[in-house]
Amino acid sequence: MTHPAIDPSTEQSLSIWFFVGVLMLSCGVLIFGQGIYEFSHPAVAVAAGELPANVLAKYHGAFWWGLAMTLFGGFYTVAFRPGKG
Amino acid sequence: MIQPLHLPGALLLTTQLTHLAPVDIAILLLYFAMVIFIGFYVKGSTNTSEEFFLAGREMSAWIAGLSFVSANLGSLELMGWAGAAYQYGILAAHWYWIGAIPAMLFLGIVMMPFYYISKTHSVPGYLQLRFGEGARAVSAVSFAFMTVLMSGVNMYSMALVMKVVLGWDINFSIWVGAVTVAIYVMLGGLRSAIINEVLQFVLIWAGAALIPILGLIEAGGWANLKVQMIARVGDPSYMHMWSTLGSFSGNPMGVHWTGIVFGLGFVISFGYWTTDFLVVQRVLSANNLRAAQFAPIIGAAFKMFVPFFVIVPGLLALVLLKDGSGHIMQLYPDGSDQVLHHGMHSFNEVLPLMMVRYLGPGLLGLGITALVAGFMSGMAGNVSAFSTVWTYDLYGAYINKKASDSHYVSMGRWCTIIGMLISIGTAYLVMGAASIMDYVQELFSFFIAPLFGTVILGMLWKRATKAGGFWGLLCGTASSVGMWLMVLHDKTNIRFMILQPHASADTIDRVQAMAANLYRALWSWVVCVIVTIVVSYLTKPMPEEALKGLVYGSTIIPDDGSTKVYQKPIFWAIVVATVLFILNLWLW
Repeated sequence: MTHPAIDPSTEQSLSIWFFVGVLMLSCGVLIFGQGIYEFSHPAVAVAAGELPANVLAKYHGAFWWGLAMTLFGGFYTVAFRPGKG
Repeated sequence: MIQPLHLPGALLLTTQLTHLAPVDIAILLLYFAMVIFIGFYVKGSTNTSEEFFLAGREMSAWIAGLSFVSANLGSLELMGWAGAAYQYGILAAHWYWIGAIPAMLFLGIVMMPFYYISKTHSVPGYLQLRFGEGARAVSAVSFAFMTVLMSGVNMYSMALVMKVVLGWDINFSIWVGAVTVAIYVMLGGLRSAIINEVLQFVLIWAGAALIPILGLIEAGGWANLKVQMIARVGDPSYMHMWSTLGSFSGNPMGVHWTGIVFGLGFVISFGYWTTDFLVVQRVLSANNLRAAQFAPIIGAAFKMFVPFFVIVPGLLALVLLKDGSGHIMQLYPDGSDQVLHHGMHSFNEVLPLMMVRYLGPGLLGLGITALVAGFMSGMAGNVSAFSTVWTYDLYGAYINKKASDSHYVSMGRWCTIIGMLISIGTAYLVMGAASIMDYVQELFSFFIAPLFGTVILGMLWKRATKAGGFWGLLCGTASSVGMWLMVLHDKTNIRFMILQPHASADTIDRVQAMAANLYRALWSWVVCVIVTIVVSYLTKPMPEEALKGLVYGSTIIPDDGSTKVYQKPIFWAIVVATVLFILNLWLW
């Protein structure tokens, strides 16, 4: 059950895994950027209607999750870029 | 998922939960742009019917497997089962474990060779090869009818959720969702749908996994969650999978282990995962038999961990979800007085409520995009399966048998548009009368269990005849409808389905709709099997020649090329089954 090095699923030059990489990388960069912004502008637990929201903002989820997504997406984008293999 | 879910018409009455920041909107727009791009991009390689309807049968095991599990990972299901976990506790995880994994492994190891070797393009197509036109017609008509209706239900649910969570206009959501899905499925067929399902799968993991992680941090870990749960609900059964299933009254769902094992684990689960063409179509797109066998096993491995971001948030909400004044928030059933008239939130809103609680700007956009992707992929799955069954099993079989290949591709593209328009009509119909949604989902369950009886006998029993298959399928379906009407007429009739004719009123009250469905499926399957066997013995056996490639014992399964034990599908199926067993033991 090994992960295929080359995606044999399409005859096109763009692999499905490349699309996965680009989407994760783009979202990751946006979220990571938001996370960096929140270091200088800390997000408070703002209320959405009557509900407490973003209650664990102190853990900087956007920064860490955005970073993880950027790395994951970056890896897939590079590993399955058009023309490779 | 494999069980009717009842998303609330009552949601309409609650207030908007949150709003999106610019970064959230950017993420959502990015997703839409990519989806449309993929549709245009793959159009150039979907020229033949094989390419349009079966993605050219060239998908790898990983892609077919992720698409297989993703086709079932719709947002309707995610939200519904998170709500079920809040309502029934960890018992809801049965629908992801025993209610899915064994059937997926069985599909890969036992059934896939017959689907694949027969070169069928659909499940009704297999029935035609094995049991003739009658069985195919019954199966194709019911499936085509139900898929477009289900697509409409998905569409309406998405619009409703977007209205509740973000305050979006329902018409706007319906039309944007429908047009987007229609564009990418019409252009790229199944190939486009599969690529988007893989994207959706990754998005859902990325968008939803942070909720249980942060929730468990706030709760102080799993052990602390259990302690707080017992203190909160005063009932340890919320955290046990099996130990409370000895009686109908010992657990929050009102279900007995026989219902879970035989009704859910065997009939409903096997019926859904092995014969519902919506999911089987994904596996049929695999590029060789070994990949087709591996795909459901890979799907099962991922499916096993879905409860982490569906069931766990539901459990966490029971002890962590608080209102503005810091008190634990109580959620209520849909349609209850509290939801309808007092503005309280319903069970099915658990997941959006937890999103709001833990996800800030950016992450919230990711979570919302994952939900939207789930809804759209649900629509795309239904519409692409509809266009295949309509074109191959109805139009090509009964209306125009000798058209050119390009004509069938055009028919498939037009079908996508027409199917989407019918879905939009259904969505507006449901908007007018929310109870229609419940009925549509109930209807879907009528066909699944008997169809499994017919297919499994067809694959494993050579003596099953065409007449046996047809009458078994018809009688099984009719019995399922009959039992449903019987309970609709008088709820106390459930006592006959659970084989307790003298059951007390209290026991009957505790048997929830979910549990009743398990027994209805079980008995309709039994009826189908008995009728098939009896009619088969009363009719002439089919010649051995006609069974080649279709039935166990008459089919030579080609060597899959595995040389080492870890390359064999059966090895990984055993690994997955072992992990499943350990998880169940842990949460016994």
